[in-house]
Amino acid sequence: MGLTGMVKNPRWIVYSLIFIALLFIPRILSIHDLMLFEYGITFAIVGLGFNLLLGYTGLLSFGHGAYFAAGAYTIAMISKYFPQAYSLEILIPAALFFSMVLSIIFGFVCVRHTKIFFSILALSLSMLLFALLFKLYHITGGSDGLRVPLPTLLGMSFKGIRRPEFLSGTYYYFLLGMFSVSFLVMKGIVSSPFGKALQAIRDNEVRAELIGIRVRRYRLYAFVISGMFVGLGGALWTFVNGHVTADLSHWVFSGEIVYMTLLGGFGIFEGPIVGAIIFTYLKLYAMGNTQYWMFVIGGTLIVLVLLLPNGIAGAFAGLWTKIKKVIEET
Amino acid sequence: MWIIYTLNGLYFAALLFLISLGLNIILGVMGILNLAHGSLYAIGAFIAAWIIITLGTQVPPFFLYVSLLSGLVGVGIVGFLMEKSLIRFMYKRTLEYQLLLTFGALMLLEDVIKMIWGGQAYYASAPFELLGKVDIFGNVYPAYFLFVMFIALIAGLLIWLFMSKTKLGIMLRAISLDREMATGLGLDITGLSTFAFVLGAGLAGLAGALVVPTTPALLGFGHEPLIFGFIVVVVGGLGSLKGALVGSLLVGFTRSFGIAVFPEIELPLLFLIAGIILVVKPEGLFGR
Amino acid sequence: MKKEVSRRKFLKYMGATALTAGSLGATSKALGQAKPIPKDPIKIAAVSFLTGAAAAPFGIPGDNTYKMCADKINAEGGILGRKIDLQSKDEAGGVDAQVKLCRKLILEDKVDVVLGYISSASCLAVLPLADELGGLIVAYDCGTHELMEGAKSPYDVPKFKLGFRSKAHLGIDNIALALYIKKNYPKINKIAGINQDYAWGRDSWLIFETAMKKLMPQVQMVKTLWPPLGNTDFTAHISALMGSEPDIVHSSLWGGDAVTFSKQALGMGFFKKIRMAYSRGEPYPQEVGKDYPEGQIICCAGTHYFLYTPKDKASADLQKWFVGEYQKRYGKYPSYPCYHAFQAIFAYKHSVEKAAKAVGGWPTIEEIAKAMTGITFPTPSGMLTIREDHNGIEDCLVGITKLTPKYPFPILDKMEIFPAAQVNAPIGMKTVDWINSWK
Repeated sequence: MGLTGMVKNPRWIVYSLIFIALLFIPRILSIHDLMLFEYGITFAIVGLGFNLLLGYTGLLSFGHGAYFAAGAYTIAMISKYFPQAYSLEILIPAALFFSMVLSIIFGFVCVRHTKIFFSILALSLSMLLFALLFKLYHITGGSDGLRVPLPTLLGMSFKGIRRPEFLSGTYYYFLLGMFSVSFLVMKGIVSSPFGKALQAIRDNEVRAELIGIRVRRYRLYAFVISGMFVGLGGALWTFVNGHVTADLSHWVFSGEIVYMTLLGGFGIFEGPIVGAIIFTYLKLYAMGNTQYWMFVIGGTLIVLVLLLPNGIAGAFAGLWTKIKKVIEET
Repeated sequence: MWIIYTLNGLYFAALLFLISLGLNIILGVMGILNLAHGSLYAIGAFIAAWIIITLGTQVPPFFLYVSLLSGLVGVGIVGFLMEKSLIRFMYKRTLEYQLLLTFGALMLLEDVIKMIWGGQAYYASAPFELLGKVDIFGNVYPAYFLFVMFIALIAGLLIWLFMSKTKLGIMLRAISLDREMATGLGLDITGLSTFAFVLGAGLAGLAGALVVPTTPALLGFGHEPLIFGFIVVVVGGLGSLKGALVGSLLVGFTRSFGIAVFPEIELPLLFLIAGIILVVKPEGLFGR
Repeated sequence: MKKEVSRRKFLKYMGATALTAGSLGATSKALGQAKPIPKDPIKIAAVSFLTGAAAAPFGIPGDNTYKMCADKINAEGGILGRKIDLQSKDEAGGVDAQVKLCRKLILEDKVDVVLGYISSASCLAVLPLADELGGLIVAYDCGTHELMEGAKSPYDVPKFKLGFRSKAHLGIDNIALALYIKKNYPKINKIAGINQDYAWGRDSWLIFETAMKKLMPQVQMVKTLWPPLGNTDFTAHISALMGSEPDIVHSSLWGGDAVTFSKQALGMGFFKKIRMAYSRGEPYPQEVGKDYPEGQIICCAGTHYFLYTPKDKASADLQKWFVGEYQKRYGKYPSYPCYHAFQAIFAYKHSVEKAAKAVGGWPTIEEIAKAMTGITFPTPSGMLTIREDHNGIEDCLVGITKLTPKYPFPILDKMEIFPAAQVNAPIGMKTVDWINSWK
């Protein structure tokens, strides 16, 4: 799709409008809600990456927490051992690099399998990382994790600024920028020939092989790209949260990533973004209002699986198609 | 001392065997990885603890040991309800829905436990203390641990006999070998799947019931066993009953000797061994 | 039609949120200056484990005590006439959940003070939020010495302007244990340790090991084990400990873990040859009952023991009320977390009153924090001082379990009290450095 095509497509007008609206979010939301929204945005990046694997390649990983942890711990480790390099323009590429390395290693083992075998292998490998993060107490802080201070950005220091102020000012726009770039890059990937090849593999592995796609290698590429997006999300999340723990690599955390992707709908490009933001609010409000919050989000998940398999975005898209049909018919 | 290390390994393996056997039966027959398996184990523990505490010290000790079967029966019933109300809708659905449904069930059950039994700890150590200690080559060892190993052994033998000698068992194996073929042969897939799920759940409940005399039942009780169960399943081979046995023994011994010799890294060591096996034999020791 | 209604409702809801957001913004601006005493109740959030392994031994007793103390304060007219509105919150759900909860408490619910946290992991993650968010947080039960200490001695105090801990850190338990062992068992030569694999266990062992090496250099550390929190099978650990044949095993296990360990160890003949030294074993004899082995060394995390009588009159009177009232309400003797909860809520009360005297009116949180620094007040286990490093210091009691006909569980015999100065590092000095500097 060329630039003119983009302009003509109404979808891009909506994207631009949403982007402009996002610029004003810090003026609308209270500081607490804004921080929640930022959690949502970081998970939206995670969801974009995760869905390349699930929605576009047809591989369900129950271990993507590992790459999230890789991104997050890159930040924490650098702040602990190389504080002089603690600035965003170094941290973000470093996080991308380390989540890439980890996803190449783990991906190499995983992509030899598909279906449930793939899922459970990905899960086991992420638990290996969990065991290491948990046990190497003196390096990683074990289950206590590590605290991360505020980073510098292009020589700007944020000393003396409280984290909520940092998060509602500079960092929000940085986050929004990173999200927009991720969005555009991922959009590019899925509409490129490479993205089409992944979808061909998803739909029919044998046929894809026949038309000359190197299935296993493409799966690995998808795995690594997906891992890097998740790692980026993890890195950006770290500054919002201010603290990393080994739990990030636990399979339950990976399960939440799958949850939010399904909540939004993995059949649709924008689905995981919607899911990530809604999930963040859902979980916190459930936790804040009832001690049975797991019942609420577990129950929601079951209802979703049974009644709304295409997720929220999927349901809206379905509704939209129906409405269009009705309009066209009359 | 080494004999005690071995016994400790066997004891841990016995419990793991019951858990992973259940996981593997469900996985083999239904093709579903039951993420809520740990919660079923926890429910078994709570049911048994609750019954043991209610019975108190008034009843003959024999009843206390019989009451441990309540884990098997009670969780079997929970499994039946779960299969009929949720899991059965998943047979034709894709993997992500199957996994997420059991993930949702995990969270749901965790809070159901909290609603029923509250946040406190349940101490039900009477069966553990009544059996006393035995002397094994000059080492003191609780007889109850031997009892647990014995029960696991019996359960394993029964399952093996059932799977290889009875018609029902052979039908279950047929489904796990080739689902489509089994359908073509006219087997009652729905009924058999329900049965497999109830059996698998019951075994997890039994494991929970057997554990509870040695440690109080608490919220979050099922998390750790589930992870070890995953390792066993992956190492032994997905859906393989033989794999459950060998995998459990491997994990049990690695843990016991690991703690004695390399206490700092016993957990990563376990994952490392699992990782090496997977690189060499990706389908697991007895996987297809 | 139905859709229209829900849309209208939705818009109304949106409007309401925007409105509350606006009004909250307005109140937060007014927080800057001292003002007359408000009429509304003081919002105190008390965060303890209400579910999970730590609920029964610590969380519930601690929470009970908060309620009991809030009732006492309210019955006596509140703090400067303001009643306490106590909100109990659950500490379960992991460190990240606690970070989020604490943010909500301070930014959204706008509580006056957060009293809480049993787990050292929670404290390490949450206390920095005090300065980050501008809210007063008083840690009441967590032990790690790292919480208030800097990277190297001497360090600047306080580490957090608005973060406090109204009790002594785990240094006192482990130093007192080491002193007790040196005095009563001078001939031992092998020691092992079993501690949970997180800040609490790791730091407990670190301090104990450092002190032991200094006090009894001939002693060998034969084994250190790190079971995870919530471990249910200790057999491998028990055998590994027995295999290394120590005279004394140091442990900071707590809650269900401590009970599980005791029972399984009892079954494996552990106590025939080995003596345990529990850094915070005080609640478990009462929890386990008469089966609890005799002859075990137990530290009370201070002088928090129901049979202890403080030296000064005010404290002794409080202890009498405290033990009596707690037993009347909850049918048990108060365990050390109860004493900690008392210290936290009364630290806040006394500090507000002290600050109000200085500024004439309801003090800001900065003024309360200033008043809390260096405050001394009576508690059921003696006078408590919160130092300039925002950390409490206390004496420490160690004893040995012994069954008597009077109680249905073993009580402490051969009690010894180590004064605060002997077990707390001076201000600005890291505990480990201080121990290493002993002559």
